Amino acid sequence: MPVEDKSKSLLPFLSSPKLLPNESEAEFQSGLQSLLSELDNPSPLAVALVSQLNESLWWIKRHTVDKELLLHEAMARLLSKAGSNWMGSGNSKLSVALEHYLSGSAHKDEVDFIEQALDEANLTLSDLRARAFKDAARHIKMVDDLIHRQHQTMRHLQRSIDSIDYKSRLVKRMDLELVALESKQSVKGALTLDDKSS
Amino acid sequence: MTTNPRRNLANRCNALKSTGPRSVSGKRASSQNSRKHGLNSPPDFESSPKYQALVELIAEEGFSGFACADIAAGLLNYRRVMDAYYDTYTSPEPVDEFLRDANVKASNPIFSELLSPSGSESQDVREMAAFFASMQRQERRKGGPVSRRSADTHKLIRYQRNGIARLSRAVRQG
Repeated sequence: MPVEDKSKSLLPFLSSPKLLPNESEAEFQSGLQSLLSELDNPSPLAVALVSQLNESLWWIKRHTVDKELLLHEAMARLLSKAGSNWMGSGNSKLSVALEHYLSGSAHKDEVDFIEQALDEANLTLSDLRARAFKDAARHIKMVDDLIHRQHQTMRHLQRSIDSIDYKSRLVKRMDLELVALESKQSVKGALTLDDKSS
Repeated sequence: MTTNPRRNLANRCNALKSTGPRSVSGKRASSQNSRKHGLNSPPDFESSPKYQALVELIAEEGFSGFACADIAAGLLNYRRVMDAYYDTYTSPEPVDEFLRDANVKASNPIFSELLSPSGSESQDVREMAAFFASMQRQERRKGGPVSRRSADTHKLIRYQRNGIARLSRAVRQG
């Protein structure tokens, strides 16, 4: 049975993984399809487990992005604390400008703003990053825990899929051995009949 | 765990002496007690039509009746955890920008102006400013939206661990 048909059997009864508004459904589905295509025995349960595996991979991606965002958040906080922007909307404006600056998509005004803030704080970008890493260490550790948990989850799912696969192989092997025994038995029976008749 | 009536009674008597949280942070934490993800309440999968359908489909793969029930419940439970995980991740506690960015020292004249008509003394103003500063410290410690969602999601790790362990055990023992 094709994978697509099998995937229709169990998954409709389970809530499907939700995506964030800025995430690509096509990318998520292509990841799932590539994992499914690696299944030797795409039974409904195996397909359901692979779908959970794909979700775990997706969560690892999200949390990895979060680690970088945490650093940016801490960098903006440090800059605004050190400079004269520690009031009102300065902090959020600084965060946005820094985000653009780090991704290389900042306008000239934003570049000037960040460079002025760095000057005021008497810091280079790498200094700021190092300090931010220290500042956000507690939260970064939390995200590392979340990523580690997803890895553990994937290991559990992989073991479960292997167990289903092993079970089906075992059943097949036993069927084959049974057929072989039966054919052997029938050959033996035929030989004894031949001996008796001769 | 065995239940001991004497210990139960002692626990109840001791609980009556409790007057709840005393510190500011304790009171703030307990004020959020009603905001729960629902993962502590026991689920009732057996009565849902999805459960029956899942059991029937899993049974077609050659699992025993008990194993099918375990696997179906494990799958539904795991999905319940992951749905709560997503909801927690996407709706973190909002950042109080006013509290985070406010200048406590600069607010002292406002506190004294607010408190002086009622005849309060400078001690009250200091206490109010200290309370405000402690709330601000907590707000800043929580960080921005990404820090908050990471911290909130981190609390669900144990539910995820238990959920996947239950599902995995059901499949491997089936």
